[in-house]
Amino acid sequence: MDEECVSLLPRVCDVLAASGSSLPDDTSLEKLLDWFSAVTKSGVSLLEVSPCLLGFISSVVSSRASESSIISFALKLIGLVAAAEDGFRALQETSVLDLAFDPQHWREEGLWEDPCIRIGWIHGFSTMLQHRQAFSFFVRADSIKPLLQLQTDTSLFVASAASQMLTQVLMFCHPLSSGFNETEVDNKSSSSSITGLKCPNATESDHESAAVVTEILEFLKRRMLPKEPSQLHQSQQILKLLASILSQAGPSLQNKLLLTVGESLEELVASNYSQLTRPLMDVILAGYSSVGGDVKVPDPILSRLLSVMLNQREPPDLIHAAAAFLCSGHDNRIHMEQSAGILLLPVDIITSLTLLEGNFTVKEHQLSMMEQLKNKTSCVSMICISLKYIPKITLMAPDCRPCPPASVVGAVLSLLRLCSGLSPPSVAGCVTVFRNVTGSGKVQKCALEALSALSSSPEVKVMLVEVFTLLIEYLNHPDSDPTVLQKSYQALLKWIGVCSNLSSITNQLKQDLTQVVRKRVCDMRWEVRDSTVEFLGHLAGLPACSTEDGGVCDISQYVLGGCCFTTPLLMEALHDPESYVRASAISALAQAMRNSWRQGAVPTKEQAEIVTQLLEILSQDTEGFARRAVLQFFITWFSSYPSCTSSPLLMQSVRSVLLQGCADLDWEVKVHTLDLAELLMDQAFLGQHGYTKGLESHPAQPHPYAVTAKQAYTLHTHSGTHTLSSDLDGLVKQGLLSVLLSGLFDCDRPVGLKACRLLIRLKDALLLRPQDTTDAGKTDPGLNCELLSQGWAHEIRNVLGMEDRTSGTDAHTVTINVCDLVKCLDLEERLDVLTRSSDHFYNSPRSLLQDILTAGSAHAQQDSQLKEEVIVDCY
Amino acid sequence: MKLYCLSGHPTLPCNVLKFKSTTIMLDCGLDTTSVLNFLPLPLVHSPRLSKLPGWIPKDGTMNLEKRELLDLSTIDVILISNYHCMMALPYITEHTGFTGTVYATEPTLQIGRLLMEELVNFMERVPKAQSATSWKNKDMQRMLPGPLKDAVDVWTWKRCYGMQEVNSALSRVQLVGYSQKVELFGAVQVSPLSSGYSLGSSNWIIQSHHEKVAYVSGSSLLTTHPQPMDQSSLKNSDVLILTGLTQMPTANPDGMLGEFCSNLAMTIRAGGNVLVPCYSSGVIYDLLECLYQFIDSANLGTTPFYFISPVANSSLEFSQIFAEWLCHNKQSKVYLPEPPFPHAELIQTNKLKHYPSIHGDFSSDFRQPCVVFTGHPSLRFGDVVHFMELWGKSGLNTIIFTEPDFSYLDALAPYQPLAMKCVYCPIDTRLNFHQVAKLLKEVQPLHVVCPEQYTQPPMTQSHRSDLMLELQPPPMPYRRCSVLNLPFRRRYERVYILPELAQSLVPTEVKPGVSIATVSAVLHSKDNKHTLQPPPVPPTKKRKRVMEEPPVAPKPLLSGAVPLEAFLATLQKHGITEVKVEETADGHILHLQAEDTLIQLEEDGTHIVCDNNEPLRTTLRDLVLRFLQKL
Repeated sequence: MDEECVSLLPRVCDVLAASGSSLPDDTSLEKLLDWFSAVTKSGVSLLEVSPCLLGFISSVVSSRASESSIISFALKLIGLVAAAEDGFRALQETSVLDLAFDPQHWREEGLWEDPCIRIGWIHGFSTMLQHRQAFSFFVRADSIKPLLQLQTDTSLFVASAASQMLTQVLMFCHPLSSGFNETEVDNKSSSSSITGLKCPNATESDHESAAVVTEILEFLKRRMLPKEPSQLHQSQQILKLLASILSQAGPSLQNKLLLTVGESLEELVASNYSQLTRPLMDVILAGYSSVGGDVKVPDPILSRLLSVMLNQREPPDLIHAAAAFLCSGHDNRIHMEQSAGILLLPVDIITSLTLLEGNFTVKEHQLSMMEQLKNKTSCVSMICISLKYIPKITLMAPDCRPCPPASVVGAVLSLLRLCSGLSPPSVAGCVTVFRNVTGSGKVQKCALEALSALSSSPEVKVMLVEVFTLLIEYLNHPDSDPTVLQKSYQALLKWIGVCSNLSSITNQLKQDLTQVVRKRVCDMRWEVRDSTVEFLGHLAGLPACSTEDGGVCDISQYVLGGCCFTTPLLMEALHDPESYVRASAISALAQAMRNSWRQGAVPTKEQAEIVTQLLEILSQDTEGFARRAVLQFFITWFSSYPSCTSSPLLMQSVRSVLLQGCADLDWEVKVHTLDLAELLMDQAFLGQHGYTKGLESHPAQPHPYAVTAKQAYTLHTHSGTHTLSSDLDGLVKQGLLSVLLSGLFDCDRPVGLKACRLLIRLKDALLLRPQDTTDAGKTDPGLNCELLSQGWAHEIRNVLGMEDRTSGTDAHTVTINVCDLVKCLDLEERLDVLTRSSDHFYNSPRSLLQDILTAGSAHAQQDSQLKEEVIVDCY
Repeated sequence: MKLYCLSGHPTLPCNVLKFKSTTIMLDCGLDTTSVLNFLPLPLVHSPRLSKLPGWIPKDGTMNLEKRELLDLSTIDVILISNYHCMMALPYITEHTGFTGTVYATEPTLQIGRLLMEELVNFMERVPKAQSATSWKNKDMQRMLPGPLKDAVDVWTWKRCYGMQEVNSALSRVQLVGYSQKVELFGAVQVSPLSSGYSLGSSNWIIQSHHEKVAYVSGSSLLTTHPQPMDQSSLKNSDVLILTGLTQMPTANPDGMLGEFCSNLAMTIRAGGNVLVPCYSSGVIYDLLECLYQFIDSANLGTTPFYFISPVANSSLEFSQIFAEWLCHNKQSKVYLPEPPFPHAELIQTNKLKHYPSIHGDFSSDFRQPCVVFTGHPSLRFGDVVHFMELWGKSGLNTIIFTEPDFSYLDALAPYQPLAMKCVYCPIDTRLNFHQVAKLLKEVQPLHVVCPEQYTQPPMTQSHRSDLMLELQPPPMPYRRCSVLNLPFRRRYERVYILPELAQSLVPTEVKPGVSIATVSAVLHSKDNKHTLQPPPVPPTKKRKRVMEEPPVAPKPLLSGAVPLEAFLATLQKHGITEVKVEETADGHILHLQAEDTLIQLEEDGTHIVCDNNEPLRTTLRDLVLRFLQKL
């Protein structure tokens, strides 16, 4: 806490105590509290640093005129102060504690009705409960009763806070139960507290704890069962609390808990309230999860509860329960099988494929499930849940899963066929169910997602041709909506990606695919064109596959015929009226050409044409997406080409790209331009003394707008034959320096920051050169650059103290030495300024305190002068 | 009320409704699918076509699915729902003795005329040297190839009508506007409602004072160019005759439109030509509008679009002047003022050009690759035949079928083998089953009558139970030549009372708000209007005598019911004790055993059967009268 803040604090306390309505905004108190807790955490005692707080607290608590928000703040502050034992004692001496944490007191004041007082009370208490003394105070004040009441408070925030605190209290009473057996716990609990301080009266404390535990457990048991449907909410709250306790409790507490509430739980499970399915499953799974260490077998009560949940509920509840169990990842064979069966049942019924042959326990639910499936809403929701978990089922151990993964894939394919009306339902009874899924976009999307996920399941590759056929049908279907098409493409990519051998794909299928792709790039909807173009790009980016003759082939080449098919389509897409499509086409082109770049192939005429078009887009396109994509294209090209300098086309275009990129209006384009500049620098200087590679120097610093580069660039080692000066000279000619300097003075912080970092590296490389080349710091007559009369050059002239003579006729260009320049710019300080976020000042505690004071004085003035209420309309 | 069903084609209906002494024909669609049995009529002599084995180019006759179920001359009026459903009009109104009136909206008449002119033009510009009819002989027909030998009723196939017949038929059309009420002989009122399917397309309400029949034919709920469908006026119908649902229930028009555009763009990009066989009005407007937006996004700016039809110009221009029949969006454009359809701009910028035929200007302007819209969708006549011959051999070209009326495989049969790519994206904007179910739920008709095809899933997709009408009570299906007795009886009729007669009435209040009076009058019926007039004044020479006699008070009217228990008690008081009561369907029969007399007490009458005992009868009568009210 700095001096100035300490000196401001008493006045702030006065302002707050006097009136809470004059706060600058309603988050001030929260910010203040955050600051206090940060100070406390750093090990500073609040009362020692600013004793005025004590006065503030007592005045607020005892004053009848205090605002409820200020009281709430004071309660939380008390908790913060009293969390330390000396603070607790200090507060107790002033008897402010008794008053503050007595709900009766606030009731008499008529303030308890205000939820913010109740939440302050809970938060204060829960922060305070760090030591035995606080706990004793809690017990003696008999605060457990109001706390239990608050657990079912009308305000959700209060109720949830109360639940958390109840868990905390319970954990406090049973601090070491986890991992210890009963006797150990008994021995230790009497002598230990969280802070490790000895308790003055151990046995008394034990009694207190036991009483509290019993009271809480009894409360849970009493309130768990709803006597009427209106009490369901209460049961839900209790179950949430129970789940939270079970997930934290050790075996002894868990045993005790289950013994107390087990019976009620069983009754609840049997009662078939479908709203309680999820909370009940949470409770059961929390119980399961906390079984750790040596104890492998879960409590028999839990096991029994789970069996009931997975056997005797209504179908929608069964599905939810099964999903929850499968999701929890518990390794219980019987229940796993049961859950998997239940989740497969809806798909089994609809597709009439016998996925669950012989699974009689699950088949029992067939009729009731069928009834549920006839209702459209529940049908769609159950199938979607089922589809979400189906991929998980195929990953189960072979002896555990109900059917082979290939059958599951087959079922999903059948379902997809039904959805699009491609095939009839095979059982007459399913007509209503069939009608519910026909044309349902939601089911289609879920099924396609499941299909994508299933690609990585074992033993499914035999289904490749079927999957391929269906996905092509989907892509061809006139009624498929854009999202469905996108998901179909994604699924296709996944399946192509995982199958190393595509020889089973027939020529007919390949032909169908090319035909459908050709059609979809001409689609009316830009979303569809976009996904198609993206698909082409991703396909080109896939690794090679093996062919029927045992050879290795590029997948895109094998499936679609490669660049001669893809490139013309993508070049056409460069003229698309929708900028997203243009951007995707540019990225896809980069992907498609990457291989030829890697092999260092000489650019073809077609590629030269593409480059011309891209440069045109960079200079003329009105949308940022397309221009950003152009930069990414060149970055990819530059980083994948083995020897950039050997490609005149590349080097030539890089110069134009840098020139146009740094003059762009879009900050992201400028950052990408700097990325390209960085690659140039890396290529030129790597291996030079004093030069650090970009990604090594700031590994974990994405620029502040948090757009991170997608790929790691592969850098080429420096051939070493050039000297630094000649390299730099080349770079200056490429326009690197103007990019960096214009970036440095850019008004977008990420651009400035990036440019600054690059310049620092350049400076380091220049100044730390080995002495034998040139003396460090000495100017090298060869390293000059020209300052044109541009905006940033004007800035530099100002920085360098050069006379600005832009009005003069021959002053348009000034030649300046690079080393001089980078030394003069005071880059480190600039970096420091740029690194801090622009609101760093406004977020400081000092600023907060000042704001409160200013608002307070303004309020006081207003009161004295105008006596009129000024309503400021914030919204 | 009877319905005679003359057509079995659900989208080209022809029904006759007999309702309250009027005979109303609802639509007269012309099913031309039989032309698929004939060879195409080439504009230029085609050696290929003339040498086809098993095909003999002879005449282009039409199928007319009518049967002599009833005498066409008895038809009073014909109501037309849209221009596709009036193509058989000359067959009905000419040479049949028809003397009635045809009602249609203005766009229906004008565009219908265009389509008929086009048809006649297509037929007449390829004159046939000879025409043969003896093949229609059953013995000969049996020896013919393919589907022709199985064709039924070939004797009913007729030659195409001529311009004179068209003009004469159309001169009988009387124009009506939406919601305009037309009185037919005082018996019923008919009024057209917007059906949203095409320019001027209508559903019809046929109602009397107490009955309402709705005729729904070719309606659409999609937002295309015409005025949206008026659903609310269809409410509370006693009978709803439902025809003209979509022929392509599984093809969603939006999806098909997308398919159309992408296939078109794909072909043009690859350097091929696109042929779109279509009618010269209707969906083509939507296709052009869609292309107008699509051209730029698909970089088709320089590709020429040709629309070739004898009526191309009129069709494009007519569409722009029927502003009041268009959807709201297009209507509001007219006030800007801008042409409602964007094809005006396409024409202005020379992207769309139209020609009456391939001869003349077209041949000099023709530039490939291009897109050609032309008729006829059956590929049997019209300029399309020429393009099929011209482009069929190249795999670069594509033919895109958008009209759902003809099977595209049958249409293509005489052109096989065909290298040209073929895409079938039928665009039918008429109601689908899902929309109909929703509509009927809303409109709540008491009975629905529909073609039998709608009561079962389509033949090719028998599993799609969602592609049929499922209603409670089930719809009444009809097929060609069926005569349906529509299931409601006329119960009330409106009768007018003349003021002078009304003045003479003396009402008596039977209960608050309800008064009754006896009326003696003459019922006068003329033009289906019924009027009560005062009874005729007796001849003057007898008047004196009448004046002399005091006016006779009218006999009191009796009303009420005889309560059984009380009546028995009264009988007992009068010494009649042996009474056997027997319950019947309508009331009771009292058997007075000692007197051998029967008293029948029924809801609407009381009879005393008492032979030769007048005093007893009078007593009993008076006893009964005690329980009745007198007016």
